Amino acid sequence: MLLRPDRRDIVIIGHLTGLVLIGTGLVMFIPATLAILWGEHNEAAAFVIAGCLAILPGLLMRLRARSFRPPRWDHGMIVTAVSWLAAPFFAAIPLFLSGHYGSFLDAYFDAMSGFATAGLAVINDLDHLARSVNLWRHITHFMGGQGLILIMLSLFPAHQGAMGMYVGEGREDRILPNVVHTVRFIWQVSLAWLAVGSLALWGALLSAGMPLAEGLFHAISLFMAAFDTGGFAPTSAGIGLYHSPLTEAVITVLMVAGCLAFALHHHLWRGRWMQLWHHTEMRLLVASVAGLFTLMAVGLASSGAYTTVGELLRRGMFHLLSAHTGTGFNSIPGRLFVTQWGTLAPAAIVLAMGFGGMAGSTAGGIKLIRMAVAAKGLRQMLRASVLPRDAVTIESVHQGQRSVLHDPAIRAAYTILLLYLLLYAIGAAAGLFYGYPFTEAMFESTSAAAAVGLSVGITGPTMETGLQIVYILQMWLGRLEFVAVLSLLGFAWSTLRGRT
Amino acid sequence: MKRGRVLIGALGLLALLGAVVVIGHALRHPDLPTGVSEDQLEGSDPRDETDCPQPLPREGQARDEQSRSATILDVSSNNLYDCPQHYDGERVRYRGEVVGALLHRDTGVWLQLNDDVYAELIGPLPAHRDYRGGNAGVGVLLPTQLAAQIEFIGGPQTRGDVIEVEGTFNRIDPSGEVAVIRADTAELTTNGEPFPDPLLPDRRAAAIVAFLLATGLVAAERVVARRR
Repeated sequence: MLLRPDRRDIVIIGHLTGLVLIGTGLVMFIPATLAILWGEHNEAAAFVIAGCLAILPGLLMRLRARSFRPPRWDHGMIVTAVSWLAAPFFAAIPLFLSGHYGSFLDAYFDAMSGFATAGLAVINDLDHLARSVNLWRHITHFMGGQGLILIMLSLFPAHQGAMGMYVGEGREDRILPNVVHTVRFIWQVSLAWLAVGSLALWGALLSAGMPLAEGLFHAISLFMAAFDTGGFAPTSAGIGLYHSPLTEAVITVLMVAGCLAFALHHHLWRGRWMQLWHHTEMRLLVASVAGLFTLMAVGLASSGAYTTVGELLRRGMFHLLSAHTGTGFNSIPGRLFVTQWGTLAPAAIVLAMGFGGMAGSTAGGIKLIRMAVAAKGLRQMLRASVLPRDAVTIESVHQGQRSVLHDPAIRAAYTILLLYLLLYAIGAAAGLFYGYPFTEAMFESTSAAAAVGLSVGITGPTMETGLQIVYILQMWLGRLEFVAVLSLLGFAWSTLRGRT
Repeated sequence: MKRGRVLIGALGLLALLGAVVVIGHALRHPDLPTGVSEDQLEGSDPRDETDCPQPLPREGQARDEQSRSATILDVSSNNLYDCPQHYDGERVRYRGEVVGALLHRDTGVWLQLNDDVYAELIGPLPAHRDYRGGNAGVGVLLPTQLAAQIEFIGGPQTRGDVIEVEGTFNRIDPSGEVAVIRADTAELTTNGEPFPDPLLPDRRAAAIVAFLLATGLVAAERVVARRR
């Protein structure tokens, strides 16, 4: 019998969601402070308003809820799904008040894109945007890439139900026995990369001729977008602004680092470098990049987009890795994908976007482990069909340690894979409905659902509202990998149809 | 929990979110007129068929020297990105606002020139509410001595100098950069300037009220937590 949730369930969910919003609101005081220092007083006021508004619901819930029972696993899932809708709402307020968005929905789109680390943008006149708001866009990448729940668990660590929320955010790997310790480790790695990556980027930008202070601002912003596989850039020209192969090289390293599972980072952190060789996802990433780059090289060579191997390698590999890692940076104007790249090279990009990075990383997409499990499941089935009936076929994957694949894991991988394919197709169908050619519609839909951010020009301030809403839902579903959203839908259904 | 209460709660929540959006609208920058008609939108629409001025050479084939134009072509960034092969190697005239940063190199200075509506026609946001889409521009490599005349670089609260350059458009520049203009002349046509972003008193008042409210609630929550 379907049971209707009671008031206590609402209190638990409200309370935990409130904590996520408190975390989001507190982070807004960072750009608020910088806005004051940079003389952007209207923006400072906007951040204070948005920060306080985000904090209020959490505080009200804490005042109202005197006590509540320990959260269950499904509560954690629902909190994650709701938080990922609510936090972009408050994050959109300073964006909207910046005066660069035509509607609140536009601002919400960019906030969701920021948190989901997609990097698609509908902002008007980005090149004159206030510095603090520009930084806030990149901070949303950092928050979303690390995980909103992860930030909440960092600020308020002693919460039961943490595992449900953690998994609901698309993370399955518990790197250390305790979730709180895992969260701390993820921060440790990220902050170390922040220091090293920002300095390396700053150096590259200075060597490219960037002024000192401006270079630092760009370096920090680009780091957050690269390591958290986001894709926002400080100016509309993207990475093309810098005309610097060195900057592109540093960004490439950061993008790849961002798409590695934090569990793999943990092994590397401990000096276990051989894990790079044994890790199933790492092997698949290398194979996939090699295969897709071959496809792309053939496409680019036949379209005549680039005439030398060096140019082809620089542009092709950067964009392929940008797509595969789910970052979405581009170093050429997006229009050239349509007018210069032919069909085969963009197809390789679409496949790379669809595959995505490693599970338990900041990357989006189907994820390499699911691709590997699905492929091994298929191989197991084929082997079983040709071998004698009593032969036992075993497939395994290596993620830190070798584990044998069982049917439930294979079924789960296929289910999520199918859901992603369906999500890509729905977005493409929406694009077709609004009159875009199939190739462009498929490219943009995959980019949104896999949280990549490369664009052929469909996404922009003048895009249709209906398509905008479809892409917002795609980013939300794609980032949370369906499970948390399905839990929320189940909760809503039982509220309407369940019995007390 | 009764369905009616759930419905009332959901509606109340939606009303609160709606109220936040309405307050947001009230706290925006003033809607100053730009005096420009509504019919002009920037950017290429992927649904439009690209209509290049001349037939493109076969894919992968270089154009011969005789097929190049004898005159200087006036171009926009949309022209160049829609038909890069057509303009490849052509001498072009292009005008735009300097934005981002000047990147000084041994070979010259790299700059980004935006030719969108914000550059000259309606001016930068948020000084008005005439939303015309994203930015559009082209990378230009300028000799160092020509770049010396640039004083204002477009960015936050600054309208950049508008300059007109003449040079060769390269689909692939010898430096390895893509779709850029290697300019040999540059003329400053409009001086840039800092644009004011006057303090919005309503927004400041709202920030103070929100801050006091949040601080009061934090204090109340602490007191209640201590009592528990």
